[in-house]
Amino acid sequence: MTDTTPPDDPTRTETDRPAVLVPLEVLEGESPPTGTPDLLANAHVVLLGYHVIPEQTATEQAREQFGETAMAKLEGFAGTLAEAGATVEVRLVFTHDERTTIDRLIYEHDCLAVLVPNSTERVEEVLVAVRGTVGIDRNARLVAGLFAGTDVAVTLYHVLDDDETTDDGETLLNGVKAELVDRGMDPDGIEVVVEDAAAAVDAIARHGEAHDAVIMGETDPSVTTFVFGMPSEQVAERFLGPVLVVQRERPEGEAEE
Amino acid sequence: MDAPDGPDVPESGGPSDPRREIDAPNDPGGVDVPDVLAEVVDADTGEGELERTIGLTGGLAIGIGTMIGAGIFVFPGLAAENAGPAASLSFAIGAVVALLVALPASELATAMPRSGGGYFFISRGLGTAPGAVVGLGLWLGLVFASAFYLVGLGSYAGQVFLEAGIALPVDPAVPLGVAFGVGLTALSLFGTENTASLQNGIVAVLLVILTLFLSYGSLDALGVFGTESTPERFFPPGGLLPVLQTAALVFTSYLGFAQVATVAGDIKDPSRNLPLAMVASVLVVGVFYVVTVFVATSAFGSARLGEFGETAMVEVAREFVGFPGAIAIVVAGLLATFSSANASILSASRAVYAVSRDDLIPASASRINLRYGTPHVALGLAGGPIVVLAATGQVELLAEVASFLHLVMYGLICVALIRLRREGPDWYAPSFRCPAGFAVAGVGALASFALIAFMQPASIGIGIAVMVAAYGWYRYYSTDVELKGRF
Repeated sequence: MTDTTPPDDPTRTETDRPAVLVPLEVLEGESPPTGTPDLLANAHVVLLGYHVIPEQTATEQAREQFGETAMAKLEGFAGTLAEAGATVEVRLVFTHDERTTIDRLIYEHDCLAVLVPNSTERVEEVLVAVRGTVGIDRNARLVAGLFAGTDVAVTLYHVLDDDETTDDGETLLNGVKAELVDRGMDPDGIEVVVEDAAAAVDAIARHGEAHDAVIMGETDPSVTTFVFGMPSEQVAERFLGPVLVVQRERPEGEAEE
Repeated sequence: MDAPDGPDVPESGGPSDPRREIDAPNDPGGVDVPDVLAEVVDADTGEGELERTIGLTGGLAIGIGTMIGAGIFVFPGLAAENAGPAASLSFAIGAVVALLVALPASELATAMPRSGGGYFFISRGLGTAPGAVVGLGLWLGLVFASAFYLVGLGSYAGQVFLEAGIALPVDPAVPLGVAFGVGLTALSLFGTENTASLQNGIVAVLLVILTLFLSYGSLDALGVFGTESTPERFFPPGGLLPVLQTAALVFTSYLGFAQVATVAGDIKDPSRNLPLAMVASVLVVGVFYVVTVFVATSAFGSARLGEFGETAMVEVAREFVGFPGAIAIVVAGLLATFSSANASILSASRAVYAVSRDDLIPASASRINLRYGTPHVALGLAGGPIVVLAATGQVELLAEVASFLHLVMYGLICVALIRLRREGPDWYAPSFRCPAGFAVAGVGALASFALIAFMQPASIGIGIAVMVAAYGWYRYYSTDVELKGRF
């Protein structure tokens, strides 16, 4: 285990470093893509190596055979992330169902976001898609936690709903900006963009192309709990760069199916 | 589903992590409490942790899905021929014996929620020699059971041709059973799609069809509509003996509950879900079996039912509801025998893994193929002999040998419970305690062994031969392995 955070200090990940889950299908050859260490230099990374096993195989059986190899790989990745400045916690899970595993770990480590691991050359400009007032606090904690005190430029972006005016959108984003500045970000590094676009997903992916990474919320909480809800998945597919999917807060005792 | 552990009580953090202190060995495993047993077993040994993905529904589906195929869709005709309407008593006797074993097995499973089930309990509780005999016996027992289910599946597939009016020159049951055996083995080797939800769906559909059919049949038999049938004499001419012999034959219908324990390592919150799934699945199928025989014997005389053979229930349904009823039961029979056969092939491969992990057979037997993630050698060791046995087509013999090998294991499970309770080793801290443990386990052991005595001599002979061979293998290969109390 590489656990550089003192486990008996519960406030640490909460205030200092946003916890970000990085799931890798480690035995399928997935590794942290280029740019990930820079992107997550200020994060508390929960590095999850998982391996999906068909039901006809006992998970114990797979662990016995592949556990050591997989753990060695993960430790190597953890070293790279830690060198860039992140605190890293390694978890390796043999599972029949990756959804259950990812969901459980988000909950156990109180992760603010999950990374859709795509590569990027550099981390200089980041697009933050803001959906509405719900979850703004978590968005701000993540963005400020990752980028306060760095040279990374942040674009706050909102697609107008049918019944919203441009003023409404700007008020919303300026509120987020104020919160980010409160949390130590440089106001000059934050741009605000409000747009009236037909399809939010297309618009986000299009804007993402001019940026190095995208931060966006989970799918509508009433529809699904899966981390890679459709919109963020679609954005990740088109944008091809890293996407951080901000997780909504989970009410006590709700996280399981 | 239970609530997962809160973020402040991580389920696993490595052996050296102070958060992993286990301080409550008798933790009730309630809704909001992390499952202490699961934590001990899943403790990250530096090589990764194991996700538990099967909930209570999944556990029940495994138990019911494995069992229900035989009791309802294969045995009623054979059982009624031997024991008349009292065959329902035979099924009830089987249910009682199964319950007497399920309770001690539940206690042991919550103390040792590991893959391998009965084999694991016996090798850890009683030592290597009984463990080896049971472990190899369980593998072959499941091989016999799978072959039996496959012949049943073949009979129903053959019935499809009959219903479609296609005349075949030979009885297609055996060739079709063999074909299904090959197909299912290949499916489990290369199929990486998750089949759990499929299995749950099959069991749900089955229970709905059966509930409708049996409710209708019961009302009809009791004379609510139609004409009340004149019940024939309850006991067969031979008195109680044929009833007990039939109980020994049809006991194969109850082998599934222990299969829940063979996947114990995958079950969430095992302290609660293991005992519930095992006991409840026995109760559910027991009720269905008894009612089925009652309905079947009220529709036809026992002798006539016997003539219909494995697919007697199709004729019963035809009698009540005509052609649509027959089709519904053919479909249900296909689903049920298919799911039983599939579950048993997978369990047999798990049994091979369990003995190979303990060095009772070469470790290469449990190698996993990285591309498909499946244990190809173990599946081959299960599928190969299953296909050969299915080709014999000896339904009753296959069923009895399967029951024999399982009953030996069940008896020894009860003995293991008594021994572990007496000795009380430190590691033995079950969260579920079998009520009146000594009495239940004592009667359970006696009943399991006694049921064997009522089998046909040929089945007993083959069963003993398998056990002797297993013991011989142990003497030859693994006398230096010590398993008692090893984790």
